[in-house]
This record gives sequence, C-alpha cells and structure tokens, in this order.
Amino acid sequence: MNRSIIHLNIADFAAAVETNAQPALKGYPVVIAPLGTPRAVVYDMSEEAYKEGIRKGMTLTRAKRINKKIKIVPPVFNRYERVMKDLLKQSVAFTPFIESGTSDGHIFLDVTGSGRLFGPGVDVAVKLKKAFKKTFNFDPIWSVATNKLVAKVATRVVKPVGEYIVAPGDEKAFLAPLSLHLIPDLVKADLTKFYEFNLFFISQARLLTLEQLKIPFNCRAPLVYDWIRGIDSTPVTMYCQNSSILAADHEFSTDTNTADQLRKALYLMVEQICSTLRNRTLAGAAIKIILSYSDGLQNISTLALKPPTSNDYILFKKCVPLLNKTWVRRVRIRHMRLICKTLVLQGIQAELFTGRTKETKQADLILAMDKIRKKFGKNSICPALTIDSPLDCKARYQ
Amino acid sequence: MSPPPSLTNQIFVGTSGYSYGEWIDAGFYPDGTHSSNMLDAYMQIFHATELNYTWYQMPKAQAIHRLCAKVPEHFRFAAKLTRTMTHEIQKGEWPKQVMLFRQGIEPLTRSGKLLCILIQLPPYFERSVKFRHYLAALLDELEGLPVAVEFRHASWATDKVFSELEQRNVTLVSVDEPDLPGLFPRLDVVTNPDLFYVRFHGRNARGWRSGNMQTQFDYDYTDQELAEWATIIKTAIMPETSAGCIFFNNHVRGQAPKNALRLIDLLR
Repeated sequence: MNRSIIHLNIADFAAAVETNAQPALKGYPVVIAPLGTPRAVVYDMSEEAYKEGIRKGMTLTRAKRINKKIKIVPPVFNRYERVMKDLLKQSVAFTPFIESGTSDGHIFLDVTGSGRLFGPGVDVAVKLKKAFKKTFNFDPIWSVATNKLVAKVATRVVKPVGEYIVAPGDEKAFLAPLSLHLIPDLVKADLTKFYEFNLFFISQARLLTLEQLKIPFNCRAPLVYDWIRGIDSTPVTMYCQNSSILAADHEFSTDTNTADQLRKALYLMVEQICSTLRNRTLAGAAIKIILSYSDGLQNISTLALKPPTSNDYILFKKCVPLLNKTWVRRVRIRHMRLICKTLVLQGIQAELFTGRTKETKQADLILAMDKIRKKFGKNSICPALTIDSPLDCKARYQ
Repeated sequence: MSPPPSLTNQIFVGTSGYSYGEWIDAGFYPDGTHSSNMLDAYMQIFHATELNYTWYQMPKAQAIHRLCAKVPEHFRFAAKLTRTMTHEIQKGEWPKQVMLFRQGIEPLTRSGKLLCILIQLPPYFERSVKFRHYLAALLDELEGLPVAVEFRHASWATDKVFSELEQRNVTLVSVDEPDLPGLFPRLDVVTNPDLFYVRFHGRNARGWRSGNMQTQFDYDYTDQELAEWATIIKTAIMPETSAGCIFFNNHVRGQAPKNALRLIDLLR
C-alpha cells in the first residue's frame, strides 16, 4: 500500500515567528541577523525581503545595500525551538510518525496508518493548516505525496503559499518538468556535476542510466538515480516527547553579563534537569551549554560526564567550568540553555560498605529536599545560591 | 468483480473519490492494490467519479490531462469547485481563482469527460444578501460550464431559488443526509433538464457534526432506503431530465461502493 506523507512548511520560519511576536513588522522586509557584528550574515528573511533580492547567508552589509529600510531582528533560537515544539504537539494528535528540524518550520507526518481515524491525508493536512493559522497565526504550505522527497519538492514548487497533492503513481510525471535544484537531497556539488553535463531538468537527468550516473557520482549514483525518479523509501521517524535528551532554558529578563546571575540561572536549570532525571531513575552522561547573546550569536560547549550523574551538586560543579569555557564574549547574554544528553539508567543498587562521605551527605540532602518539595511545593525550599543577595532583598523591601 | 452493464447511457453512478486504502479491507479493491492502481480497478466497475481533491487543491491542467489519459472514453468526472471559492472566499481574489479553476479543468472539458462542476457550499452559507450576491456572481463567472450547486443550509430550500437555478440551467443537487435542524432537506426538485445530481452522504445524525470525516460519513444505507430513492429517481427525477449522476460519499469502510452497486441493481 502507498504511504500518505504530509509535508508542512512554514516559509521563512524565523521571520514568521518574529513577525508574529512583533506585528508591526508585518509587510516590511524583515531580515533575521545578528546585530552589531561586522561580518554578520542573514539567517532568515521575510518574503518581502526575498523579493528584494536578499538571500540566506548573504552578508548583512550587502543586504543593507540592497535596501536600507530593511528591519533587522536578531535571532532568538530558543523561541523558534519553542514554537516548533508547540507545532509538533498539535500535529502529534494525528499520528505518532512525525519528523521535523529543531527550528526550521518543516514538519513531515506519515498518516498512512491513521486514515481510518482521521480520514484521508489531504483532510488531515487542511485541518492542520487551519489549526496552525488559528493557534499560531502561521499559514503553512502543505503537500501530500507518497514519500518525503516528493512531498518536499511539492512544497518547494508552490512556495511561498499554496498546496500540492501529488497523486499516487504521478510522482515521475510531476517531477519531470522541474529543475534539478528542487530535489532536496541533491547538494551543490551534485548540481554542479549535472550542470557540467548541461543537464538542468529532472527529465534530462533521467535519460542517464545508472551506469552513466556512476561516472560522476560514484557510490551516490543509486541514490541519485532514485531521487530523480521520485523514489524515496526513508521512513518518517516516530515523534518522541520523552527523547533521550533533557533540556532547560533560562531567558534573562534583561540581557546580562553578570557572573552571579549566570551561575544562579545555571543552578536552577541543573536542579530542574536533575529532578527530572531522579524521577525517571536516570542519569545524564553528557551536558551541553548554549549561550545566546543579545546580538543573536551563540556559543556552544559540551562535556562528557564520567560517571553519569543526577546529583545537583556534582552536575553543577561540572557545569560551572563548562559555562566559563562557553562564555567567551563580552556581549550581554539573553538566553542560556542547558542540555543533558545520553541518558542512562541510574544504578539502583546502593553501596554496601560506604562511609559517610561528602557526596553521600549531599545525596541525602537532595533526597530530603525532593521530599519537602513534593509535600509543600516546588518553591518551599531552595539553596542559598538561588536567592537574591541580602542587599538586593533589602533594596526590594525598602 | 466483473463490471456491471451500464445502467443507461445517461445515468452515471459512482462514488465521491476512489482512492481509499480501507476499501481494500472492505473487499472492494483486491488485496495489495496500490493507490496508483485504484482508478484502474475502480473504472472496471463504475463509469464516473467525483474528483474530491479539486476541493483541496486548485486543479492543475497537466495532472488532469494525465488523469484523462488513464480512463476509457466513456468515463466521466464531476469536479468539486476548490475551497477558495466555497469555504475560504477572499474578497476580490476569487474571480482569479475561478479563472485558474477553468484553466485547470480544461483537459476535462476539451475531452468531453466533464459531467459538471460541483459547487459544495458550507453549512454556514445561508441565504443572506451577501451570500446570494456572491453565488450569483460565481455562477456568472462559471457561465458556459455545466454546474451543480449543493446547499447545506435549509434557508435555500425555496421556490425562488429553484426558479433562479432553472433560469440559469444550473442543477440543484439532491442530497441525502441526516434529518437535522438547519440542514438542506431531501428534495427531488429538478432545475436543469440536462442533468440531475444526487449525493448520498449517509444519515449518521450523531456523527454529522463531529468534525471528523470518518464519523460523519460512516453510514450503510439499508435496502429499503435505497429502494425509496430508486423509486424517486425513476418516477420523479428521470422523466424530467435527459441525464444524471448519482454519487455516494459514505466512503467509510467501503460502504459507498457497496451502496452504489446496490442502487444500480435497484434502478435497473
């Protein structure tokens, strides 16, 4: 039986999110790019900016030369990720087979198996489009096809607005007149090879046999052979809310470069992650810190944890040097994210002959705090590190 | 399954859409039928279908051309008008949509395979001044094409509306749907001597407003219900018209093709 794959594409996702956040930007050429950096490049742009010739990856200086009146907004990556998660939560009602990027506005859904519950794929696509419009004020392009490749090409064909249904069996005929650059899996180097042979359209490339394709593409030839025929058997992976990473975010109310504020925020995130780990009897074996600066740039650092842990104090002790390593710029920080990766099962067998070490005392303290929180609420007890300094408190109560 | 002999040369019985995976389990399509081969299997049994997908997406001439090439000479299509002209109307934008629709279905008109264009109006499309003006303007824009109008709101069930449709040679779609307040009633009014059009949606009153197609159109007509319709079609509708089409939209669990085949038997 043919599959029914929906591809939803919110064109210019970052620009769409920012325009929703600041409706005054609507109708203007909006460019998403870091501010205050001389070599900044365009991360995303609105359709209006695209029409003026601004492209992703273009230097901001050049974009400004094209149109001095462009509205430049610094990227807020965590916001895009958050919106993306919300979109996925809405989509998961129709099928567990959902695949998406972290913040690119692309969602694939395999609704082959849920047809009896929700009807044909086209109906699900229209429902989702309406839901996205109503809830998030997005107007996604959608397509329905028998595989991911054809579905993605279909949304590219109708971009920036519209829909496309590629009937089963119609894939080859649909692709034939299209330009080769519309095939998502063909990278720039592949396209260059085709262009060298004066082949610009899919129908032209199809004239080559597999043996002929092997000359320029070597081991990639079978893949290329399938792609230009609209064959793609890759599955849509299953959406997993409880995936093997845990993340915590902290957005500073005002951008900061104060070490104390960063440490405090870091500890709160460590606490949040460790609490979840302990609830799920897991331990984290790797951590990652992402700092987003006010100009839109990011710094990322990772660290392996040996042994894996779910202890607040141990994790915090590891995180502090990692934060210092990540924090390399003097620009103020807007957002911090802590990710705990590679989750492993926590050893549940206690040591038989251990003395009262500092670590065991800390572990007991954490367990006691967990119990208090469970009984009296999340904010019933907190470490001194996370409360405001006495001077701040004094100032607040005066 | 061997194809039933054509009912008459003028009456086409079929289903609304033909590409449903669950029809394999229902036994209508042979096991292992690929979606791409469903039309081949369908046209062995029925001689017409309603194109549902043109409601979701503006038809594209190349795709329609490929579809026409797949079917035999006698096969016919009814094409649903795209939602941008019925459910999601944008003021000032819709005449352009009509033009695009005309271009999209051009291979159907050229090849003589178009039964008619089906304008399926939403339940909230009541008989108000605004909607009356819109419908009149839409019918003007579609002039020259065979058109059938399906109302879902009871306010349109008046003689004035029927006579206006008659003047324009536009078919009023007779609908079979649940007896619910506000819904367009079951009627056998003929407004176009060239074509009658009956749509069977099923009578699932509980699921009608569920917002889920799989519930809304889950209904299996009884022999008695179909026999009543067969009598109405034979005695009240057919004498008034030279041709007609009957489509079953209760697609869930293969009930539509099953009921359609039964109605063919009863009409014969």
